[in-house]
Amino acid sequence: MSGSVTDQYVLEARGVTKRFGGVTALDSVDLELREGEVLALVGDNGAGKSTLVKTITGALGRDEGEILFDGQPVHIQTPLDARNIGIETVYQDLALVNELSITKNIFLGREIVKDNLFGRLFGALDFKKMEANVRDLFARLDIRISDIYRDAQGFSGGQRQAVALSKTIMFGKRVAVLDEPTAALGVRESKMAMDLVRSLKDHGLSVIMITHNMQHVLNYCDRVMVMRLGKRAAVRNVSDVDGDMLVGLITGAIAARSG
Amino acid sequence: MSIADNGPDDPAAATQTSSWDSVVHQLRQTAQVLAALALIYVVFFVLSPPFRNLDTLFSIMTQASILAVLACGTTVVLISGGLDLSVGSIFAVVGVVVGILLAEYQVPVPIAIVAGLLAGALCGALNGIVQVTTGVPAFIVTLGGLTAYKGIAELMASGRDLSRFPESYQMLGSGYVMPISIMFGAALLTGLFLTKTRLGNHAYAIGGNEEVARLSGVNVARSRIIYYMIGGLLAAVAAILEVSKLNFAQSSRGQSYELFAIAAVVIGGTSLFGGRGGVGKTIIGMLIMQTIIVGLAYLGVGTSVQRIAIGAIIILAVFWDVWRRRSR
Repeated sequence: MSGSVTDQYVLEARGVTKRFGGVTALDSVDLELREGEVLALVGDNGAGKSTLVKTITGALGRDEGEILFDGQPVHIQTPLDARNIGIETVYQDLALVNELSITKNIFLGREIVKDNLFGRLFGALDFKKMEANVRDLFARLDIRISDIYRDAQGFSGGQRQAVALSKTIMFGKRVAVLDEPTAALGVRESKMAMDLVRSLKDHGLSVIMITHNMQHVLNYCDRVMVMRLGKRAAVRNVSDVDGDMLVGLITGAIAARSG
Repeated sequence: MSIADNGPDDPAAATQTSSWDSVVHQLRQTAQVLAALALIYVVFFVLSPPFRNLDTLFSIMTQASILAVLACGTTVVLISGGLDLSVGSIFAVVGVVVGILLAEYQVPVPIAIVAGLLAGALCGALNGIVQVTTGVPAFIVTLGGLTAYKGIAELMASGRDLSRFPESYQMLGSGYVMPISIMFGAALLTGLFLTKTRLGNHAYAIGGNEEVARLSGVNVARSRIIYYMIGGLLAAVAAILEVSKLNFAQSSRGQSYELFAIAAVVIGGTSLFGGRGGVGKTIIGMLIMQTIIVGLAYLGVGTSVQRIAIGAIIILAVFWDVWRRRSR
């Protein structure tokens, strides 16, 4: 961290606008993520949460607006750009390839190649090293999946989500962006996933999390940003709100302006 | 928020399964097609006395070798979720290129071979480049390639007598040892590529879920071009082998080879939808097809009926795959 006072935000989006044809999906949206916090992103369906996240992580292009990382403007055009800067994303339904093993999924796009001629010339993979890293990581996070050779297809929703979240700790140097990490999960599996989200924070990551679960916002997040109709409707400290108030902000029953 | 519990599956339960599961699963799948091959072989062995001959076995493998090499490339392309209908025509282009260089320009054999390989790789890469830049589906692009490459081969070959090649070149495709070794060599290298290298693993990822692969930072476009290039390269190896074996080159060679290759891949058990499969299965699939063709011929069954039999087996193989998936 540089010593500047304005550096309290690890990630900022300023005036992000995104149009699909004639429809304005995002209308000059700002977002600030503080170092080490979990920021909940809530809003009704179609409010623009996923679109905002996708424009920040390079999965979607944006029409206007800029992204700042550690206070510096950065160019994020592709998912790889975001990743190289230190932003890891777990997309809803697009986290794992069913046909690949757990190990290969975690290292997809960032495989470790052998430290010899075969590795340099042909990209020969170092499965031993990758498997050892995955076992280490799972032990550290208390993820009890020993069968890391098996195809991802065979695992439950909770286990798949655990794998996807663990990926952000393996590689995410600074920021993890999670699109509904508990969607389609059972109660027990949701708890497991949210405990992992908490350990992301313990591992020094700042987290943006899209969620529809107000209990998760209140229990696991530090601040909450409410979106409505493609705009930022409110930002609150979680300690200042309760469930009813959040629902009011989301539906627009409570009008709010925030800075 | 979903409140419904997904069921009793305890996350810890998965720890019970052995880490050998996937290996065993793979072996079991391959063992199934291998058993089918053995069964078919035994059936002809019993039915036809002249079939009971080691020579017949080697001749089946030799006859399978050319298409098997081509089908190795088809396997890579299909695993990556692609499709190449033009490899039969690429085969023709390469045959004519090598034929012209050897028969008309008396180019040294190694140089002719390298030129043929380059021509095949180039044609394959072009298929991939056109696809990723225009977004036109693989089926259409390579259907275009099928006729266009055929035309190129005809233009180059027109009115030429491409035959009587040097002794050293004829050695490649003659006898049993060279063609069979080249077949297994091509399969081994392709298999190593698919299972041991980063780019090979990306073929499974892209074929499995292209969007996840893209979001994970895989350069999908570049990878695809390389898979098509490998398909073209292996078509070239097959063509070089056949031109050597026949001792002549013609632009009409390679016709519907792409379909036989796809058939072998499917019979072997590689998914037509991408993401799963392997080159060992393809070799077995090709041997199954060839055993049936040779066996039926020994029984006095004509080529037309052989074709009908092969057609039925292709459908049966896919039906078996579909049925197995559904019952799982």
